[in-house]
Amino acid sequence: MEGKKKSKRGTLILTIFLAIIFLLPFYIVLTNSFKTQKGIFLNVTGLPFGKFFTLENYVNAFKELDFVHSFFNSLLITIVSTVLIVIFSSMAAWMLVRTKSKLSSFLYFLFAAAMLIPFQSVMLPLINLMGRIGFLNRGGLIFMYVGFGASLSIMLYHGFIKSIPVELEEAATIDGCNKFQIFWYIIFPMLKPITVTVSILNAMWIWNDFLLPQLVINRPESHTIPLKMFYFFGQHSKQWHLALAGLVIGMIPIIIFYILAQKHIIKGVTKGSIK
Amino acid sequence: MSNVVLKGVEKVYPNGFKAVHGIDLEIEDGEFMVLVGPSGCAKSTTLRMVAGLEDISGGTISIDDKVVNDIPPKDRGIAMVFQNYALYPHMTVYENMGFSLKMKKTPKNIIDGKVRGAAKILDIEDLLDRKPKELSGGQRQRVAVGRAIVRDPKVFLFDEPLSNLDAKLRVHMRVQLSQLHQRLKSTMIYVTHDQVEAMTMGDRICVMNLGKIMQVDTPLNIYQYPANKFVAGFIGSPPMNFMEGEIIATNNNIKIKIKIKEVELKLPLDKAKNLKDHIGKKVWFGIRAEDIIIGNSDGENTMKGKVKVIEFMGSEAFVYSQMEDEEFISKVDFLEAKDLKNGSECFFSINMDKCHIFDYDSEKNISLGLKIKGEFDV
Repeated sequence: MEGKKKSKRGTLILTIFLAIIFLLPFYIVLTNSFKTQKGIFLNVTGLPFGKFFTLENYVNAFKELDFVHSFFNSLLITIVSTVLIVIFSSMAAWMLVRTKSKLSSFLYFLFAAAMLIPFQSVMLPLINLMGRIGFLNRGGLIFMYVGFGASLSIMLYHGFIKSIPVELEEAATIDGCNKFQIFWYIIFPMLKPITVTVSILNAMWIWNDFLLPQLVINRPESHTIPLKMFYFFGQHSKQWHLALAGLVIGMIPIIIFYILAQKHIIKGVTKGSIK
Repeated sequence: MSNVVLKGVEKVYPNGFKAVHGIDLEIEDGEFMVLVGPSGCAKSTTLRMVAGLEDISGGTISIDDKVVNDIPPKDRGIAMVFQNYALYPHMTVYENMGFSLKMKKTPKNIIDGKVRGAAKILDIEDLLDRKPKELSGGQRQRVAVGRAIVRDPKVFLFDEPLSNLDAKLRVHMRVQLSQLHQRLKSTMIYVTHDQVEAMTMGDRICVMNLGKIMQVDTPLNIYQYPANKFVAGFIGSPPMNFMEGEIIATNNNIKIKIKIKEVELKLPLDKAKNLKDHIGKKVWFGIRAEDIIIGNSDGENTMKGKVKVIEFMGSEAFVYSQMEDEEFISKVDFLEAKDLKNGSECFFSINMDKCHIFDYDSEKNISLGLKIKGEFDV
C-alpha cells in the first residue's frame, strides 16, 4: 500500500513537471505579448505589470499582420486543403482496402513509404517543377498540401476502414446503391471519428506551416499568418512584442478548433488503432 | 410465381479453385428451402450468387422464370438478411428499414407506411427511433428481417441469420421466422450449418458438401432415407454410427448378413433383396443412436460393448460404448441409463429394420432400393 502511494505521488510529480515544461512556452508567449519591448528585455519570465503592461502590441500586430487578409488566406488554404485531403484520402483508402490486388498493396506501400521522405529533400525540385507549370500560387499550395497530407491520412483511414464489415456495403448494393452512393451514404458517415482526427492533424499542420507557403506564395496579398509574422523579424531588429502578440492572435482560431474537436480526436485515435 | 432455378451453376475463383461444381436446384414458389452443410461447402457462395453478390462462372440462375445472371442485385427482386445483420450503424432503425425505398426515390408517405407495417409484423414499433447499437442481438435480427420485408421482395435470402444469437434466442427467432414464412408465403432460401434449424424450418432441405448437392428432400425423408454416408452422418444428433462391414450370404440361401468384426447381423428381407449384388463386398453399416437398444442377453442382432461414457440429457441419455476398436453411441431412455456404469459390459440390440448400408467406395446408400428424391452426387 505504502509503495503504491509513493509511486502514485512520483507519477503526479513527473506529470506536473512535464506539464510545466510543455506550458512554459505558452506562458512566455502569452505574458510577453502584453509587455512593451523594453519590458520583455528586462524580465522575460515575469508577469506584465505596471508601466511595462500594454495592449498596444495587439492593436499594432493586428495592423501590421494585415490580419483580416492573412486570416482569410490561412483560413481558405487550410479549409480547402483539409476538405480535399479528407475526401480524396478516405475514397483512396476505401478502394485500397476493398481491392485485393498486388497493385493496391503496392500503392498502399507507396503511400506509407512517402511519409519517410523528408520534405526538405524534395522541396527544391518540387518548387522548380511547380514554377514551370505555373503552380506557385494559392491553388498550387493547396494542391501540394493534398499530396503531402495524403500519406498519413490514407494510413489512418485504411486502418479504420478495415474494421468496417464488407456486408454493410453488400447490403447497400442490394438496397440499390451504386459505388459512389455506398461511399457517400454508408462508408463516409461511419468514418466520422477518424475524419475528425485527420481534419485536426492536417488543419493544425497547414495552419501553422511556414516553409511551404514561403516557397510557393510570392504575392504579399496572398500571404498566410505565419508568413506575415516573418515581417517582425528583420535583419537588424526583432520586434518580439509584436511577434508574440501576433502569435497569440494566430494561435486563437486553431486552438478554438482543437478544443471543439478535442473530444473526437481522442475517440478517433482510439478507434483507428483498436478497431 | 417467384420460383428460383439454378441450372449447372458453377463458381471458379481467379486462382482456379472451383467452389461450386455445376449444381442444379429448383426452388418452388413460396417454398422455404434450407441449404445446409459444413463450413466451406459453398452454401453461402451459392446464396450470394443468387443475390448477385458473386459472379457466376457457369450455368444460369433464374428468378421468376427470368435469367438473372447479368442483372444487378437491386433489380433481382431479392432481399438478404446477413449473419452479422449488416445494419447501418449511423442510421436509426426507421432509416435502416426505409433506406432501400429512399434509394428508389419512393414517396415519403409510402416509405412511412411500409416501414411501420413491417415494424408491426415484427413487433419493433417502439424501436424505430433507436440506433442499432442501442438494440439487443434479437432486436437487431428483427430489424434486419424488417429491412428485408420493407423491400417486398420476390425471394428472401437468409445467410446464417441466427448464428450470432444465444441458444435460447435462436429457438425463439426460429419460430418467429417460420411464422413469418407462413404469414408472407414468400419464397425463402435459408443458409445454415445448424442441422436443427434445417430440420425444423425447411419445407425442403438441400444438403451440400464440397460444392456439390448431396441430397434435396423434405426434412423427414432426409433423416429416414439418407442418400449417402455424408447426409446420414451430417443430419441427426447424435450423428449416425458407422462401422465397416462385409455383406455375406450364409448357408447358400437368401439370408444375407453383415459381418462387423466377429458379429453377424441379419438384414431384413427388403434390405437383403437390394444387397444381393454386393455379397462379399466391403460396405459401411450405419445405424442411428436411437435404433440401438440396451438388451440383456446375447440374442439375434445383438452386440456386446463396453460402456465408456454416459451423458444424461434430461429425459434421455447418450451412451458412448466400445466394441473392440469400434465406438458407437446409443440414445436410451433416462431410466434405462441410470443403472449403467462406466466400464460395465452390456448387450446392445440393433433394430436392423432401421439400418442403412452404404457402398464402401461411392458411399451411396445401397440398402434403400427406392428411388431417392432430389439430385445427389458423391
